[in-house]
Amino acid sequence: MATLQLQNITKSFGPTPILKDVNLSIEDKEFVVFVGPSGCGKTTLLRIVAGLEIATEGSIIIDGKDVSRDHPIDRGISMVFQSYALYPHLSVFENIAFPLRVAKRPEEEIKDRVHKAAAILQLEERLQHKPGQLSGGQRQRVAIGRSIVRNPKVFLFDEPLSNLDAALRGDMRVELSKLHKSLDTTMIYVTHDQVEAMTMADRIVVLNGGVVEQCGTPMELYLHPRNKFVAGFIGHPRMNFVPAMVSRVDDDGLHLRINEHNTMCLPVASEGIRSGDHVELGIRPEHMQLDEEGPIAMHVEVLERLGAHSMAYGKINGSDPFCASLPAMAEVREGTTVRLSIKPENAYVFDENGIALQRLGALQPA
Amino acid sequence: MMDHYSLPHKIFLYVCVALFLGFILLPFFEMFMTSLRPLEHLFRSPYQFWSDDFSFKAYAQMWVTVPMLPRYIANSMFISLSVTALALTFIIPAAYAYARFDFKGKTLSLGIFLAVNMFSGAVLLIPLYKLLRTYGLLNTYFAMIVPGAAFLVPMGIWLLKSYLEKIPRELEEAAFMDGASRLYTLRRVVLPLAVPGLMVVGVAVFLSAYAQQFLFAITFNSVKEFMPLPAGILEFIGFQSVKWNQMMAASIIGILPVLVIFLFLQRYLVAGLTAGALKE
Repeated sequence: MATLQLQNITKSFGPTPILKDVNLSIEDKEFVVFVGPSGCGKTTLLRIVAGLEIATEGSIIIDGKDVSRDHPIDRGISMVFQSYALYPHLSVFENIAFPLRVAKRPEEEIKDRVHKAAAILQLEERLQHKPGQLSGGQRQRVAIGRSIVRNPKVFLFDEPLSNLDAALRGDMRVELSKLHKSLDTTMIYVTHDQVEAMTMADRIVVLNGGVVEQCGTPMELYLHPRNKFVAGFIGHPRMNFVPAMVSRVDDDGLHLRINEHNTMCLPVASEGIRSGDHVELGIRPEHMQLDEEGPIAMHVEVLERLGAHSMAYGKINGSDPFCASLPAMAEVREGTTVRLSIKPENAYVFDENGIALQRLGALQPA
Repeated sequence: MMDHYSLPHKIFLYVCVALFLGFILLPFFEMFMTSLRPLEHLFRSPYQFWSDDFSFKAYAQMWVTVPMLPRYIANSMFISLSVTALALTFIIPAAYAYARFDFKGKTLSLGIFLAVNMFSGAVLLIPLYKLLRTYGLLNTYFAMIVPGAAFLVPMGIWLLKSYLEKIPRELEEAAFMDGASRLYTLRRVVLPLAVPGLMVVGVAVFLSAYAQQFLFAITFNSVKEFMPLPAGILEFIGFQSVKWNQMMAASIIGILPVLVIFLFLQRYLVAGLTAGALKE
């Protein structure tokens, strides 16, 4: 029910710039995730959208109306905090009813709406309990209940799952995705966890150092990262970066010398690249294959058998750290060297400035 | 283990505690004993711990010797409670502002409050006397309540501020997001959570008010009807004799309300005074 535009948002705390000229347009009913390492400004950006911070420059537009100076309640925004921020002295019912009590709604309506919210979140049994008597997941749901009870146009979530244990986090991820579908509203979600971003987002905004590095669907970011930062941040385990030298440029793409004995031909756009340039080859661990003839020799230091597959951590070329995802039963032992290969269309190339060269052979995201 | 003490160590600790408690409590004990003795036994030399005819007579006679005694006790309570109520109405909003807002002169004014605490009221008695006389306020309850409250506000702000600072900011931000005003948030969210802190401050202010009212009473007031107990018990000093035993009995009665408050609230006091000393 709401579109949201961020225009030239800049924020500094004193002389320290936190956000630099952020522009973003969020569609109605979209689930957008802000993701980035700690200190990248993602939470500050969310707080600016919420109205808890005022941007140094720039404006926030919701449904075509500039709300940059408006109170959160007038923006039609509600927020779920990282610590849940439940009122410990009030019952679950009163916690959820809080926004309605502030708005002085009639008692009947409050009851009705709290019970509806509780039904959606399966909290009916818990309405008379205090937050201290609830489990982490239930507290999380109360916090969500408090934010849905007043039917906001936009929901904000500030790392809502970071206080939960791993198993519960997985469950809550699914529940949040369901909630988004059933509420059918615009949601903005902040996390440092790229798995949460990949699994829940319609669109991911990758922030780094106060700048939007890239914005796109999860698969766009995975398949066509704009630069090294995004490539390293999206995907788990991290992408490997291997220094390489361009030996030849022709119609097939770039020919890269990756070590003393081997070259690879990669189908990427090669404008502005000349032979002799230094570039970096990006290889995702999941794209590695065991291959006795393979060009990459990896010395395996640690092998993690995860069941579905095995992760090998080690070094290539003597010193560059490297990680490869191998079949579950791969006959690899720690302390030995294995040979690996990669399909050229699966590799990524980054120029000297860390900007990705366009991949011609890779899948286009749907 | 940090909390494992050897026997000599333990003995040493207990002796120290006993000495300290003895030092603090012996006057109270002697006060109580005096209130039980007949007057003529008080100045016996050599000192005799045991009198043969201990009795609670003084507790009955004191109401006759000083007929205004109930009034004095009521005055005491009235003055202390008024000081507490008045001080808290200033302490709560001020402490909240100091805990949450940044403004010019915050550190400086907090420093000045601390400095004010270092002066006892006694230093300012004469200027205050002149002030109250000029405005014609001598010999009123006002003269005993308002200066008393003023002296306690700085201490209260310091105490409550540190307590309020521990209430997570996110709770207030959540309330703000839900449309609550500052005052609504203070009333519905902050103060309910600060109850233990308010108890500590309230009791500390009450106790201090109870203790300091003597000074203000004997300086700013000469009307018998307004006298609080600490000033009132001076009436046991007669022209002929001093009724020490009755005076001590009245003192014990005077301490009683404070003692009762302390017993009921000590759970809060202990928790409140040490809370936040350690990272949780």
